[in-house]
Amino acid sequence: MRNHAIRFIVTIYCICIAHTIAAQSPGYKSFRIEKENRFVQINCLLKDYNGYLFVGTDDGIYTFDGDKFNRIPFEDNNKTDTVTALFRDGEGILWAGFLNGKIARLRHKSLQYFEPEEGHPQQKIAAFLNDGSHKTWFASNGEGLYYYANNRVNLINSDDGLSDDHVSCLQLSAKGDVLAGTDQGINICSIQQNKKLVRTIGPAQGLPDYIVTSIAAAGNDRYWVGTQEKGFCFYDHVSGKITIPAVSANWNYGQVNSILQDQQLVWIATQDSGLLRYSIATATIERVHLNVNDRHISCLLRDNQGNIWLRSENGLIRTSGDILRLMPLPGTPAFEHVHVLLSDNKGHTWFNNEQNELIKTIQVNDNITGRKIQLPGLTEKTDITSLYQDVNGNIWVGTMGRGIFLLSPESLAYRSFDEHPRFINASVLSINGSGRNVFVSCLEGSMEIQLPETSDIHQRYTYTDFDGKKIGTNYVYCIYKDSKGRTWFATDGKGLTLMQQSHYSYYTQPLLKDDRIYSITEDKQGNIWFSTANAGIYKYDGHTFFNYGTNEGLSDLNISVLRTDWLGHIVIVHKKGLDILDPVSGNITYITGNQGIAYINAEDLGAVSKDTAGNILVSTRNGVLTYTAPENVLEKPTALIESVQLFLADIDTATQHRFRSDENNFTFNFTGLYYTAPDQVYYKYKLEGLDSNWIITRDRSKTFPRLAPGKYVFRIQAALNKNFINASEALYAFEIKQSFYKTYWFIGGCILLAALLIYWYFKSREKELKRIERLRQEKIQFQFEVLRNQVNPHFLFNSFNTLISTIEDDPKNAAEYATQLSDFFRNVVNQRDKDIISLKDEINSLHTYFYLQQKRYGSNLKCEINISDVQQETYMIPPLTLQLLVENAVKHNAVSKETPLLISLFISDEKYLDISNNINPKINKAGGAGMGLQNIINRYRLLTDTPVKVYNDQEYFIVSLPLLR
Amino acid sequence: MLRSIVAITCFLVLGMQEGKSQPVYNISNGTIHFRSDAPLELITAASRELKGKVDISKKTFAFMVKILSFNGFNSPLQKEHFNENYMESGQYPTASFSGKIIEDIDLTHDGVYTVRAKGNLVIHGVSQERIIKCELDVKNSSIAISSNFTVLLADHNIAIPKIVHEKLASEIKVEVKASLELQ
Repeated sequence: MRNHAIRFIVTIYCICIAHTIAAQSPGYKSFRIEKENRFVQINCLLKDYNGYLFVGTDDGIYTFDGDKFNRIPFEDNNKTDTVTALFRDGEGILWAGFLNGKIARLRHKSLQYFEPEEGHPQQKIAAFLNDGSHKTWFASNGEGLYYYANNRVNLINSDDGLSDDHVSCLQLSAKGDVLAGTDQGINICSIQQNKKLVRTIGPAQGLPDYIVTSIAAAGNDRYWVGTQEKGFCFYDHVSGKITIPAVSANWNYGQVNSILQDQQLVWIATQDSGLLRYSIATATIERVHLNVNDRHISCLLRDNQGNIWLRSENGLIRTSGDILRLMPLPGTPAFEHVHVLLSDNKGHTWFNNEQNELIKTIQVNDNITGRKIQLPGLTEKTDITSLYQDVNGNIWVGTMGRGIFLLSPESLAYRSFDEHPRFINASVLSINGSGRNVFVSCLEGSMEIQLPETSDIHQRYTYTDFDGKKIGTNYVYCIYKDSKGRTWFATDGKGLTLMQQSHYSYYTQPLLKDDRIYSITEDKQGNIWFSTANAGIYKYDGHTFFNYGTNEGLSDLNISVLRTDWLGHIVIVHKKGLDILDPVSGNITYITGNQGIAYINAEDLGAVSKDTAGNILVSTRNGVLTYTAPENVLEKPTALIESVQLFLADIDTATQHRFRSDENNFTFNFTGLYYTAPDQVYYKYKLEGLDSNWIITRDRSKTFPRLAPGKYVFRIQAALNKNFINASEALYAFEIKQSFYKTYWFIGGCILLAALLIYWYFKSREKELKRIERLRQEKIQFQFEVLRNQVNPHFLFNSFNTLISTIEDDPKNAAEYATQLSDFFRNVVNQRDKDIISLKDEINSLHTYFYLQQKRYGSNLKCEINISDVQQETYMIPPLTLQLLVENAVKHNAVSKETPLLISLFISDEKYLDISNNINPKINKAGGAGMGLQNIINRYRLLTDTPVKVYNDQEYFIVSLPLLR
Repeated sequence: MLRSIVAITCFLVLGMQEGKSQPVYNISNGTIHFRSDAPLELITAASRELKGKVDISKKTFAFMVKILSFNGFNSPLQKEHFNENYMESGQYPTASFSGKIIEDIDLTHDGVYTVRAKGNLVIHGVSQERIIKCELDVKNSSIAISSNFTVLLADHNIAIPKIVHEKLASEIKVEVKASLELQ
């Protein structure tokens, strides 16, 4: 107990180490556009409504997705122009202004020149603006201010009262006036009832400089105005008052090119001095260290993640804005030796060096100095383990084996905290506090110390011991008092212990996967969050413990410290970076190596601090990194379908949704805009109508060849580290129509047609069968008729009479006659079954018949056959037809010497076989009633469409039979 | 209206008085031609009586034409209607355009220039500020001007009776050709 109650009077040896901040701003990244190995100069930037960045260059417009630049072609592909202004109007049209005064608009993925009747300006287009009343304004650097309305271009220039024709920037006021920055002050322009109203604000009205270079909105119709050589000022458009900040009084940063207000900060891009950061709260300005080559910078804009973008002569520059700041520590101690870090309520950063001296940093402008405080008994081997600033402003220093020191941060007076002997050489694990309570955890036991009302470090403090046995162990990494007054203990090996009104609860395995708890914090909703040695983090909502591991989106399981930042997000510190978890949305964002930070001291629990503003400080290899949670940012990537291609040719996704069946090869190009870390973006896509599952990919393009007809919706989600909870989604719905031969109407039509064909087939077959049947019947009828005729007693009687008389007169011929008669009957019998026979055969049998009849009638019956052999061979005829007709002629006519009967057969028109006979009607008409002729007509009707014609003029009777082939 | 006529007159008079030392060009030969292409009727008319001056050092100009000098209508009746009903040439006898050339170019050297003139176009007594693109061919001591532009009847309070709505275009195409000689 050597130094037991000795109070040390200030014995500080203080070395001032001057140190200029020279480190590059974390999150800094420069992107260069190169075309054919030539650097393309960037002139202007635009953030689109969906967050997409457009870059205006010496070679037209490029889009930038965080990874690659893509050039937007001109309508004439070979064309290019130097873009000096970019603008998206209220109707969604992208405008580009060029150095040569020309203007173009983006139409169907290419740039078309805007060619009004009035021609285009001849001088550089410096800015665009849309005043919300369908007027598009454009500033010309030399000709004044144009506005385009109702297809007419109008000009406001010095003749109309504009103070100068060099207009370099435009800003729309809350009232709808246009604020135009010129080389002769600000002109406030408006058009009222076709009259141009121009009012000038110049040095006479309090403007510090004539030349206005930029105007930026500051909210509530107030504006920041950048000038050529007098810095910047604040213009209130409502009162007309101009305020000049103190830092502009002796401005030596050169021309202001661009101004951007982001919450409580104003970013100023200068022509010669790089980027400046002006704090509205403290009215101080400091230079932001970019690359030494980035001097001429302009075009500030803030992306949806809170990064600040600008252009310099070296390309497009991303900075993390105010989200990340890096402060090199004086003496540049190796980061792994910095065990403790504290940002006090005056903005000084405290840390330990390799010799375990305590250092307080003091920053004056760009210079940082460190004051060393040598605490007694501390050597290289006795670590400082914790630093804590209490509500009285005093700093508590916990050491390993040398107890606790209480230090006044201003006077640097300190004393050993020796309220009890066991404090004197205690080994402190952590010092923490809440309000007037300070919690100290030592290997010797934990206690709660009540702070006195005054900040005098020399008075005696009262304390209460915690019962180590009740906590479970004396190895407590963190004691945390939450908003409900509960005290939580993070123990090594005994899990989480909760003390509530002297009642202890224990949360250990198997409820928790790991019993080594390192750090505890609470979010704004009252959930308790704690980290474990290697099982990730837990959220306790009062009922359940939720574990977050890599599957839930954490980038590392070896987590040291959890802190809640000013926005209420949980900052998770691990070796490779910070994971920032939004307890409300569940989104996790990441600060990793691609932000330019490396090697975070995640071994020492005391090497993380939270300043009074709620920013989180960690020790990294390059110095102390301060994380300021950005407000109003998108914590997740924005999923966008950049283009849809059909057979690799772009289609217009706004209008084209229906495709033919052979238009079936689709390529989707998509992106997840997240400029902070494009390499952490994962995609999940699904083609509804084809896939039933989501497919996770890192590719940014997907082709679906040979899609079947149907309705589809392509959905794409983008998220960081596969954490697709609440991921943003983009979709494109389309339809591939059925091939016409697969459409319902076509198939239906085919079925109907087939049914008709089958119906027709059966119908006609039925008809055919009926015809055949009828033909058969007709034939039978005919045969019957013929046979009846032949066995007609008259015929037989006459024939036999003839035969008898012949036998008597001429026995030779009688035999012949009998043979003919027999031939005749054989023919009748042979041919009766045939449908048709050749005309020749028929005529042959007709000859036989004639022979028989002529024996009876002699020369009174004549028959002329005028049909050539060829014709007889060619044409066909139903059997016995001619015979029946001749029989009819003989039957119905008187045959005598006075009235001979002449029957002639001839072919008329090569169509008909005519059988004609002269008419000598019998006195007594023969019976039969024309059955035979009707039979022939019926038979012919079944054989041909050409009808049988019957002609009777009382002199001749002609039957015309259609010739059959 | 009156003011602009006074201004033009002053300009014309002053231009004459200032003599040869000033680089002022006068129109020696000027035609103005208009064309109304309506669904039912095409009307064209022209006047050769375009008067005007261009001061190439100040880049100012003034042009004027008498409405009554337009000829070439489809019928004498049409001309009468044009003058009495539409243009009311008794009340507003002239049309004029005066102003300043926007481009900062030196017209004292020979060459072909495309310039834009910003000025007040006065037709039917109504003044409209217009930018009109024209081509100047400066050669020795003469300038040839050619320009095409459109005039909206509504801009100049020229009412079209309903009955001739289909016969008269709401947008009139105007073509100007003039050669100017150094004064």
